[in-house]
Amino acid sequence: MKDVSIGRYVQGESVLHRLDPRCKILLFILYMVTIFLAHSALAMVATLGVILFLTLLSQVNPVEILKSLKPILFIMIFIFVINILTIRSGDTLWSWWAIKITTGGLKKAIFMAVRLVFLIVATSILLSLTTTPLKLADAMESLGSPLKVIKVPVSEMAMTISIALRFIPTLVEETDKIMKAQSSRGAEYDTGNIFQRAKGYVAVLVPLFVSAFKRAEELAVAMDARCYQGGKGKTKLHPLRLKGSDVLWTLILVVVAFIPLAVDLLQNLK
Amino acid sequence: MDPNSRDIAEYEQAVQAEDILFSYATNSGQNVVAVNHVSLSVEKGGYLAILGRNGSGKSTLAKMINLLEVPDKGKLSVFELDAGKDENFWKIRSHCGMVFQNPDNQIVGTTVEEDVAFGPENLSVPLPELAQRVEKALGYVGLLEKAEKQPSSLSGGQKQKLAIAGVLAMEPQLLILDESTSMLDPKARDEFLHLVRRMRQDKKITVIHITHDMHEAYLAERVIVLEKGKMRLSGTPSEVFSQVETIRSLGLELPKWAELLCEVARLCGVTPDQSDFTSEENAVRKICEIVKTKKADPEKREEKPAREVSDQVVLRVSNLSHRYEKKEKNALSNVSFDVRKGEIVTVIGHSGSGKTTLISHLNGILRPLEGSVEVWNEEDKKYLSTDKNKEIKMIRRHVGLLFQYPEYQLFEETVEKDIQFGPKKMGYDEETCKKLTKEALPLVGLTEDILKRSPFELSGGQKRRVAFAGILAMDPDVLILDEPAAGLDPAGQKEIFGYIETLRARGKSIVLVSHDMDEAARIADRVLVLKKGEQVFFGKPKDLFSEGSDYISMRLDRPCLMQTLHELKKELPYVDEVLFDVKEAAQSVVYGNDGEVNI
Repeated sequence: MKDVSIGRYVQGESVLHRLDPRCKILLFILYMVTIFLAHSALAMVATLGVILFLTLLSQVNPVEILKSLKPILFIMIFIFVINILTIRSGDTLWSWWAIKITTGGLKKAIFMAVRLVFLIVATSILLSLTTTPLKLADAMESLGSPLKVIKVPVSEMAMTISIALRFIPTLVEETDKIMKAQSSRGAEYDTGNIFQRAKGYVAVLVPLFVSAFKRAEELAVAMDARCYQGGKGKTKLHPLRLKGSDVLWTLILVVVAFIPLAVDLLQNLK
Repeated sequence: MDPNSRDIAEYEQAVQAEDILFSYATNSGQNVVAVNHVSLSVEKGGYLAILGRNGSGKSTLAKMINLLEVPDKGKLSVFELDAGKDENFWKIRSHCGMVFQNPDNQIVGTTVEEDVAFGPENLSVPLPELAQRVEKALGYVGLLEKAEKQPSSLSGGQKQKLAIAGVLAMEPQLLILDESTSMLDPKARDEFLHLVRRMRQDKKITVIHITHDMHEAYLAERVIVLEKGKMRLSGTPSEVFSQVETIRSLGLELPKWAELLCEVARLCGVTPDQSDFTSEENAVRKICEIVKTKKADPEKREEKPAREVSDQVVLRVSNLSHRYEKKEKNALSNVSFDVRKGEIVTVIGHSGSGKTTLISHLNGILRPLEGSVEVWNEEDKKYLSTDKNKEIKMIRRHVGLLFQYPEYQLFEETVEKDIQFGPKKMGYDEETCKKLTKEALPLVGLTEDILKRSPFELSGGQKRRVAFAGILAMDPDVLILDEPAAGLDPAGQKEIFGYIETLRARGKSIVLVSHDMDEAARIADRVLVLKKGEQVFFGKPKDLFSEGSDYISMRLDRPCLMQTLHELKKELPYVDEVLFDVKEAAQSVVYGNDGEVNI
């Protein structure tokens, strides 16, 4: 049995790895706004610069970052094509039958695709590649704690997320075990048409659910036995603490986030 | 002094239960009495073992002590605090630690240290004390260097130690072990029990231990035996185990040395006293005394019937090697053995020695990286090879594989459909499937009335049998069984091994993976020993454990029975110490090898 990696966290000691996860979530929201507000081509270039700066700061291998683009490649192409076909403004570049490609459409399509790439890369660098899922859950609990006033069970939700994370490797292992056991009984998952395959997976999914429920039940008893009483009065082994360096880096990154917007603003003034 | 303000540790009786009753309603509305008027007491620092068949109410009783269940009737006090009073609830629970059976289902934390911290966090222990407690607890169980690892990277034994650390960090007064060792291999089990012993000595922790292992029961100061919620026996281990007939009728067994004592006494027509059951040493002394002073009854002499094994090789593994990742080292290297018709080959080795990898090759779930696995096809009179994709289906029909804890593989609405899943996939028609199902049931002690029931409403032992029947219904020539008796109570285990012997008698070939060295050696025609993926022995069990063999360097434990015989041999030099069956051993002790002794 090995460490099954949850999410795509890459171990490291960079500034971004050490930054308080709460700051990272807030910064991420800010960068998201920047990416969508940046309007001109020049501002886009500035955004690219900012993204490269973040990449440098994270010390994560750029290959890892590019890998995160792979799953959304299809959506990217889809958005690109939709934009290019539906937006008609400016000069016509090429037309055939009902299809008409215009400069405005092309520009918009490129912008949208680039924004999407920026967004994914920013998510990867700020969150998934440099923050463990557990820290993210902690940060969300902490940021969401004001909601406790209106009786939102924030701690319990965070506990649920952390238990889910804890059980992913266990369930992956279990799935493998059940698939092997059913194969031994002649089950097939990779032959036949889609219905036969789906049927093959019933023999895996039913036992998996049954066992997951059993695990949940046993875990609940075990948690009870260890005096779990919800979030009330619960202390933490590794509480989140805002350090001076967190504040400093957050301020720096906030300023950096405004650079593309400033570029836009300057262009408009001219 | 006001009982509410006293220090929690000031008490003499850790648990006092008077006439407690617990019942629950099943889905069908029946009222089941799980614990039926049980009284018991455990003093501070004591060690109580609770025995009984699966479903006898052991766990429910333990859960009541930890206030996870509330008794319907009766009086229960823990640490001399009334368990019925609300104000005592957290005081009691926070000082009771519990370690459950399944290591995976009690770990909450995403990392090892987070998990240990979970208990004290719930008790609002502030930093830095919290961190100190975690470090101390992890140090105590020897997992400090794993503190930041994911729990899934630990072995089963380490996970149970982690559970102990999680309990220790809560600074408990009482530790409840609910079959905590049943999923561990012998080495991990020994380490776990050693840890418990150390905790009792260092911290004066009271222990309540639910177990199916009779050797573990002997570690306790007192033992109680439950049957259907009623307390049937109670006393010191020797008081309880000297009531041999009652013990057996309750679905339990004796430790091997006590079995041997009883059998020798039977052959010589004497009845052993309670004092002979106090320890293995005393039993050995008594056996020597019996043999030296009493004449054995020559009528009771039995010859072991010779077993014939055919020469037909039905499964042949040659130079098999496998590795999971290119850069890793081999999970299996150069394993070669064969299985003949009507033969049992047991595979033994520690966790991680490659047993599961090996058996996954035998029906083509894994394919050999090097070497080959061949299966005899009686119809065509030739061997099938797992190398060939088109032969895999045929191989699965000939080789039935039952993984560990197979009850999880049940998924159909009825037992009948589930058992027929395999045969249908193998392409048998409706009629044949029905016939095969009917034939499979009695082989695992089931009757036809179970067929229409849902597999999910059955007990654990019944589910195990249904899963077993599902493999048998495919009518394989070779059966691969991975720990088929693990986690069952002694009577259930005995039954499973009984079925296996019956199947062999019917000409099935069996590859059996087992941690139970006594059973593995007793039942096997030949033994395959794996160590770190390498085959270190293949041959008759007698040769493995005979003098001059290096089973110790293979890091194997001697079967318990051999241990006793070894002690006996010091007094009775003619005794054959390499025997694995109690009856056979008793014959050797009483009549000698050639029959000239003591008649």
